[in-house]
Amino acid sequence: MKYFNSIFILTCLFFISAQAENDSRILIQNATVITATEQGTLLKTDVLIEQGIITKVGQNIETTNAFIIDASNKIITPGLIAPHSTLGLIELDSESETRDDSTDHYSAGFSIVDAFNPSSVLIPYNRSGGITSAIVAPSSGAGIYSGMASVFKTDGLLKIEPVAKDVAMIIEFGGSKDSRAANMLMLKDSFDLARRFTTSKSSILRGGYFDFGDYTVRDLVAIQRLLKGEIPLIIRANRASDLLKMINFAKEHRINIIFLGAKEAWRIADTLATESIPVIIDPMDNIPSSFDSIGARLDNSAILHRAGVKILITSQNTHNSYLSRQGAGNAVAHGLSKDEAIKALTINIAETFGLQDEIGSIEVGKHADIVVWDNDPLEVSSFAEEVLIDGNSISLMTRSKRLRDRYLNKLGLN
Amino acid sequence: MRNPIQHFCYSICLLNLLFISMNLQAISESEMLNQAYQSTYSPDPSPKTIIKNGTVLTGTGLLIERASVLIENNKIIAVGVGIDDDEAQVIDAEGKWITPGIIDIHSHMGVYPAPGLRSLSDGNEATSPVTPHVWAEHSVWTHDPQYTLALKGGITTFHVLPGSANLIGGRGVTLKNIRSVTVQGMKFPGAPYTLKMACGENPKRVYGNRDSEPSTKMGNVAGYRKAWIEAQSYLNRLEEYESKSEEAKELGYAPSRDLELETLVGVLKGEILIQNHCYRGEEMAIMLDIAKEFDYKVTTFHHAIEAYKVADLLAEQGVCAAMWADWWGFKHEAFDMVWENVAMVDQALNGKGCAIVHSDSAVGTQHLNQEAAKALSAGNRSGLDINKARAIQWITLNPAKALGIADQVGSLEAGKMGDVVIWSGDPFSIYSKAEKVFIDGHLKYDNGSIDAFTRTDFDLGIITPEGDRL
Repeated sequence: MKYFNSIFILTCLFFISAQAENDSRILIQNATVITATEQGTLLKTDVLIEQGIITKVGQNIETTNAFIIDASNKIITPGLIAPHSTLGLIELDSESETRDDSTDHYSAGFSIVDAFNPSSVLIPYNRSGGITSAIVAPSSGAGIYSGMASVFKTDGLLKIEPVAKDVAMIIEFGGSKDSRAANMLMLKDSFDLARRFTTSKSSILRGGYFDFGDYTVRDLVAIQRLLKGEIPLIIRANRASDLLKMINFAKEHRINIIFLGAKEAWRIADTLATESIPVIIDPMDNIPSSFDSIGARLDNSAILHRAGVKILITSQNTHNSYLSRQGAGNAVAHGLSKDEAIKALTINIAETFGLQDEIGSIEVGKHADIVVWDNDPLEVSSFAEEVLIDGNSISLMTRSKRLRDRYLNKLGLN
Repeated sequence: MRNPIQHFCYSICLLNLLFISMNLQAISESEMLNQAYQSTYSPDPSPKTIIKNGTVLTGTGLLIERASVLIENNKIIAVGVGIDDDEAQVIDAEGKWITPGIIDIHSHMGVYPAPGLRSLSDGNEATSPVTPHVWAEHSVWTHDPQYTLALKGGITTFHVLPGSANLIGGRGVTLKNIRSVTVQGMKFPGAPYTLKMACGENPKRVYGNRDSEPSTKMGNVAGYRKAWIEAQSYLNRLEEYESKSEEAKELGYAPSRDLELETLVGVLKGEILIQNHCYRGEEMAIMLDIAKEFDYKVTTFHHAIEAYKVADLLAEQGVCAAMWADWWGFKHEAFDMVWENVAMVDQALNGKGCAIVHSDSAVGTQHLNQEAAKALSAGNRSGLDINKARAIQWITLNPAKALGIADQVGSLEAGKMGDVVIWSGDPFSIYSKAEKVFIDGHLKYDNGSIDAFTRTDFDLGIITPEGDRL
């Protein structure tokens, strides 16, 4: 127990001191650096961080007054990004009052920003697993629209502003109580309404009548952002023919789309590559769980990558969003390259949501969101020894570890 | 209530308990059922095969390098270094790892199959909280495509349970991962029946939402106890009748059959093994007291998220805990997950604990080796000294013990069934895959040859008429 207590105290002290260090420099020395850039993996490399930003990546970097992290025999990666999660919106799935992830009242324009809880118990679990940012998205609500996703970091600081607000809209398309053809019509109608709303604005301002149907002003404004190309539409769909229909729809309305789930995406890999449509995949979900996903398979991501499709790897379990790492490892076991698997956890996600100037890779100018791993980050037996967010060393303590220490002591196992 | 011999039986290990007490019965259940519902699985004699030069995790706690496994006539003949056989077909496992077939003690394959259609949703008889009369095997759809996915992950035996809506959910069944039109053809020969019980939130939510009992945890406990009181009185009636002279028997009436109580009496007699869905430490302790009150044994607590809180108690009473590596938070009873749960249960009372890694998931079951790897590395990081040779038992020998089939599977030992997996590398690595899976000495999956793989009926012509799924 003493051992664990002292680790805990040291971690806390380090956390506090490193917070104070933010104004000065951190030098990560002698690491194997998986950059998630064209540079690939660099051996025995140093990374210099100044005021939260990566300022140098190279060998034998000389500096003064830097806090040194010795990463000899360690592997560092960019902080992992959860490409689709409900982190900060849910504590217990079964208890509705602990859930803020969906609404029956709003649709397209539903922003989850005001629901996000930076002190959620789930956040420390996930950052100790290497997740430093999350695309936090609403779950499906009343209609096909779920709402808008925003980006948060997992530093746990008690602040309410996201890193980026309303970066994508989410819809669900597939087998449901109503015909999928009817859902497609609803989608088209809402787009037409948003267009009419744009053209009718001056008449509305003069007091003219406008039939909003099932939508609110904020829903139509959000759809307008899609139509202007400001944000992409994430479409949760699995059946190959549904994906094709949605590609046609996107071309017709000139919007950018991202597929989520996409269990049968491998069947249309070339089309997805030609149309440059990124795909968010849980590589382990190979269950033909409905007649929309009969073609589910473990090498979906490998086939897509070979065809030239950008893949983003997710875990469907928000409490364990960090298990995207296990998914990535399984994708490698089934044909994806290791480099691409890391990119699918980092830079591919940043690029898809317009965050590539800030996060997603280890290169000069980026925010220092970095994970130091004891070993191969794709192995489930490896773990994060150090997590930096914006150059701050983050506590890796979790409620789970506190419970563990209490009972290791009680059982006399420490 | 119970004779001294039976009492003695309770103090010795589970298996002996099972087989001895079976012999003591006046009429065995299979006789009473007219031999119906029994396993019809009987494998053809398998060719003599030697798997050579592999790293062998025996399941008995050993790791042997450059070792061989010899299989003949469905059985393992020998395991170790320096074994050779000129007549056997040779499989070179240089650089590969060999383990016993993986056993998943918590599966709903077949009763909650894929695709998840309402018409295939047969796992919960959620019409009454006490349904010991239903048997999971009568719900099993034998063409569930999830079986073959599990086979590719090295699963050779799995235990199918009813769901957790009910306090007493019905009998579970242990199946071999064999393609068969009949469930009898999948049933593990001689495996004891099990009984699914469920603690906690699920039963009280299902029935509480209908404004019926149970709606609280105390209502749950009252429900179990009422059922056991009835079972005990039924057992008394049966024993009283059995103790009569043949003459008196002819003059009187035998107690009439009671489908619900027959299963519960099977538990009281030690023939049917309790598999108890139970998350919280305090609830496990209560369940153990109920077992004490009615003099039966709990074999395994499943989903035991808080097993680490009562690990000493479980080790002391010889009760296994079947756990996930890291699932948590989907409800409050799953809130106190620790990544070290499996390792802590394993190490309780100087390593007397019985830890099992289970899946409860058709995805997880395909990667049970990875779940064990996560649990092992979490334990090692916390300073618990557990090696791979021991950790493999979490998904092999320990579930076999908890299912009462450890005399036949769960380890690579002479005389056991030829259920063997050859892995491309260390099964605790994410990059390793099951390359060859043998069941009773027959190659059932070979990732190098598509022929050695029988798809389920569902898989045929389902994506395109000409092609097969996977």
